[in-house]
Amino acid sequence: MSARAYALALALVSGAAQAQAPETLSWLRKINDATQKLSYSGTFVYQNNSRSETSRITRYVDARGDIEKLEVMDGVPREIVREKDTVRCYLPGARLVKVDRRTERGFPALVPERISALARNYDITLGESRRIAGYDCRAVVLTPKDNLRYGYRLYADTASGMLLRAVTVDANGEQVEQFMFTQLAIGGVTRDMVRTRHASRNWRVEDAEAAPGRLPGWGLSSELPGFHKVVELKRRLSDSRPAAQVVYSDGLAAVSVFIESMDGRPEPVRTGLASMGAIHIYTREVANHVITVVGEAPAASVQRIANAVEYRRPQ
Amino acid sequence: MNDRISALMDGEVDEKSAAQLIEALARDAEAIRTWRSYHLIGDAMRGGMLRGVFLSERFTERVAQRLAAEPTVLAPRRMRTESPRLFTLSALAASVAAVAFVGWMAFAPQPQLAPAPMAQVQKAADKPVLVPLPSAANDYLLAHQGFSPRVSLQGMAPYVLTIAEHPSDARKPEASR
Repeated sequence: MSARAYALALALVSGAAQAQAPETLSWLRKINDATQKLSYSGTFVYQNNSRSETSRITRYVDARGDIEKLEVMDGVPREIVREKDTVRCYLPGARLVKVDRRTERGFPALVPERISALARNYDITLGESRRIAGYDCRAVVLTPKDNLRYGYRLYADTASGMLLRAVTVDANGEQVEQFMFTQLAIGGVTRDMVRTRHASRNWRVEDAEAAPGRLPGWGLSSELPGFHKVVELKRRLSDSRPAAQVVYSDGLAAVSVFIESMDGRPEPVRTGLASMGAIHIYTREVANHVITVVGEAPAASVQRIANAVEYRRPQ
Repeated sequence: MNDRISALMDGEVDEKSAAQLIEALARDAEAIRTWRSYHLIGDAMRGGMLRGVFLSERFTERVAQRLAAEPTVLAPRRMRTESPRLFTLSALAASVAAVAFVGWMAFAPQPQLAPAPMAQVQKAADKPVLVPLPSAANDYLLAHQGFSPRVSLQGMAPYVLTIAEHPSDARKPEASR
């Protein structure tokens, strides 16, 4: 689907969406703008049921664009640097740089019409006020209208709109995972602060070489309600395996379907579900291909999409 | 005898006396009952933990493992390689575990304990098979994350998972036993 067709589809969707209080939607826009426009540096904790990890994030914005760096503070000092549409992961343990480029369009930004479209799948309300890492924050609460997606509590600085804490909750209101800044400074970032600290000149480079494209014959027998196809790509995964990727999104959560040929695969396919916080991964085999479905959606949703993947010999 | 059982449970008995005491326990049904009720009392005093689904699960699992291992211990070939006293000890350990398990089962019908294991069983029936993360999990995540709209609200933070070191990596040698 072209970007224009996509925008049109979303405009239609937002027309059908139930009106939300303008104040809540303007809060989401404010968070979105802050994430796109501010320079900042801070330390945040990621936490789910089985792990807790501290990382540092630095974002530098100037007239030429923005650069963002994420460093893991525990264990091997892994880093991710994103410059415009290119993401580089520096993995010193393996002396490896993984490169992922967005070719079709830029990083998804929640443009205003898409923010209104969220109201189709979520009730959006304002929640409690709370002080986080020294900032007075207000919660924006997204409650899903069905159990096919998670809910979110987003705590944003009332002055700048900067997101200080994001909690993902399941249908029972239980926390699935959260990101929370423990320290944050807005502004005062220099270009040097977002350069990688690794001298990676002699490291191996794995380039995903993602490009728009599709595997003929593959599709879903039925889409998950509220989730629509966003993009179709051909790409490479680790050790250069070619794969197709199809992404479905409800405007906030996304689920990717990866399709890889079984030929030359060293290990057998283990059909089943794996999870990491809000991310679920369901693997199965269809027509001599491995189907891997990955997304920040409840296990049942990810499994449903996986089970809907089908191959029909092109006519 | 009761004082000595209590001391044994608290780890206040030296190795040699402990071995003797355990052998004595094995011959004395009354002493076994005392041992069991002391453990139940202890468990009840730590009630919060006993009620926890996680502990109950692990406990059942451990007992099941012990019981599964039992025939191997009794196999004649193993008898030759192990001293008779060691055999008695491990057999006793298993029977103590079995007794404790029976004790736990007896406890289970009480209202605060019953729901947890039952709920687990029911949930397991309609749950998909759980598998470890695929070895390329980080690559899938890296490829996926760029298309997740939540990046526009959270910036790069969700990318932290794409470079995660998975506990399953560290457990691999153990899992291959």
